[in-house]
Amino acid sequence: MGLDVNDLFHLFTKVQDDLYYFAKKAKQGGEKIAGFLCTYSPQELFHAGGYFPVRVIGGEGGTPLADQWLQPYACSFAKSVLNLGLTGDFSFLDLVVFSHTCDTMQNLAEVWRRRVEGIPVIIVSTPNLNAGEIALTYLKRELVRVKEEVERISGDKITDERLLESMRLYERHRNNMNRLYQLRQANPSLMTGTEMFVVVLSSFLMKKEEHNTLLEDLIKTLENVPPQEIKRPRILVGGSVCQAQGFIQSIEAVGALVCNDDLCMGSRSYVLPPVPQGEPIDMLAQMYLSRIPCPAFHKPGYDPAEIYIEKVKAGNIDGVIFLQTKFCDPYAFNYPYLRKRLEQEGIPSLLLEVEQNQPVPEAFRTRVEAFVETLNNR
Amino acid sequence: MSDYFVIGLDIGSATAKAVLVDNEGKKCAYAVRPTGGRLVQSAEDVKKEVLSKTGVVEESVKAIITTGYGRDIVQNKTKSLTEITCHAKGAYITMPDIRFVIDIGGQDSKAILLESDGQVGRFEMNDKCAAGTGRFLEVMARTLGIHLDEMGDMALRSEKCSKISSTCTVFAESEVISLLAQGEEIPSVVSGLCRAIAERVYGLASRVGITPPIMMTGGVAKNKGVVSWLSKVLKQELIVPEEPQIIGALGASIIGLEWVKKNNETMNKITQNI
Repeated sequence: MGLDVNDLFHLFTKVQDDLYYFAKKAKQGGEKIAGFLCTYSPQELFHAGGYFPVRVIGGEGGTPLADQWLQPYACSFAKSVLNLGLTGDFSFLDLVVFSHTCDTMQNLAEVWRRRVEGIPVIIVSTPNLNAGEIALTYLKRELVRVKEEVERISGDKITDERLLESMRLYERHRNNMNRLYQLRQANPSLMTGTEMFVVVLSSFLMKKEEHNTLLEDLIKTLENVPPQEIKRPRILVGGSVCQAQGFIQSIEAVGALVCNDDLCMGSRSYVLPPVPQGEPIDMLAQMYLSRIPCPAFHKPGYDPAEIYIEKVKAGNIDGVIFLQTKFCDPYAFNYPYLRKRLEQEGIPSLLLEVEQNQPVPEAFRTRVEAFVETLNNR
Repeated sequence: MSDYFVIGLDIGSATAKAVLVDNEGKKCAYAVRPTGGRLVQSAEDVKKEVLSKTGVVEESVKAIITTGYGRDIVQNKTKSLTEITCHAKGAYITMPDIRFVIDIGGQDSKAILLESDGQVGRFEMNDKCAAGTGRFLEVMARTLGIHLDEMGDMALRSEKCSKISSTCTVFAESEVISLLAQGEEIPSVVSGLCRAIAERVYGLASRVGITPPIMMTGGVAKNKGVVSWLSKVLKQELIVPEEPQIIGALGASIIGLEWVKKNNETMNKITQNI
């Protein structure tokens, strides 16, 4: 192989200049692209149906076209994504997949279906209660319906063999990402949070086959790197931002190190229990229900604070920064409880409300800097 | 005369402040000037002013700590710190039993909870816009055709208090104009504006957890109308230091002094070992 870490990063960073560099290249080569807005979209099904699944992410800038159709209290992610849909920036997509998570996502799917022309829409309805026999039966039926819809649109049958193959590919990818998270938890000096998030971002925008190769090379290289002393405060970021990179860069610019996360476009998508054996659709349904639930979902017995406390302890984290997208009700609902539990454990935390389509504001920097100063004084 | 001195510079959006302390932490001089658009120049000006007031030469200044939104642009600084850390320190030095600081400056407002040792516990900062800050009062004074400094006394003297529901500077301005058109007296409108700021800060402060004794710092603390309304809505007496505007710069200078002393100790240890 002969690639060093910097060469590898160069390959991961391709998505920074153009998020859809790989998707557009594949499209030119005659491949079909499926855009998904939420990680509860069963990417394995679309992969098995011959699509290259990429995550639909918003961009920086105003949302004048979307403001016409969405209320002011819709989040900046929804607005930004719809605006890019309306300007034709997503015209390279052959299919767009929505999941029923929060109210905004549900409504966005219908607005998109009516206003963005030329791209078929598939909606996956995941049960809000993420546990029990009824939820499992419901999701299995839903996945069968989605599978048939993909087959109808593509005119191509998704066999069990192909689905199993795609599932194995995705599982291998999750295991690789999980391994990278483990390595970094044990040795945060391996790379900065900003670098880690380049890897995370690319993981949603590159082909899993290619990302796996890069990840496996990276892991092999990093496994032999000895830990270095870290003098900077160690931060865990949690919240509801999809593209966290700018914020993470800003947090690290004032002297902290982002060591771990609880983000959808982050560890929440990759830290999963092993997939049980059985029929492919059954396995898939069980897997999605066994995830760390999205704040829009409910799972009896699941305590969101436990994840934070566990990660803080395991990674010697000094403080938690919540990046909460404005108007993200599901996450805002969890926050008071999370803050209280962290306080009880003596873990300092800072809440920052953010807009995903705007550059990091000055007030954000001042607050993070003040938080880092208090951590340094402890 | 003292062996050495330390300067704290607080370069805010409206004013630049400097405080010069001696090696025992005694405040020797301070200066306040408008910032305007020239951050670097105003920082240089207030620094020169405290030096010339005391006759201290620049060579005997051992550290310059900067804070405020212009903290990073100032040249030849020892280090920069956020206003939150500096206001907490300044308040603690002025009165060690202070547990809570409300700082309202030119373009932001902050609520800071202090630990009993003076360290910052929790804090909140306004994040939407300049609503409920010094800039808000400046714009309103201009709309009303009065001077900023008159507002406090005017609000205190007024028996009536107009209802102003918006703290957005632009919306409140049109609200003020329609109040005047309805025949409301200027003092009553001014009192209403002070209450609007107080109510906004109340929201900020309660998110942090109001813990007396409370000190108010920053330029707006000079407005007696805001202070009076704030103590009404907080149901607490507020402690306003003699010069509330320089508390951030004072805090910066004290942190600088601690930094110099710590460095001296380390140097002494090294020298002893040699």
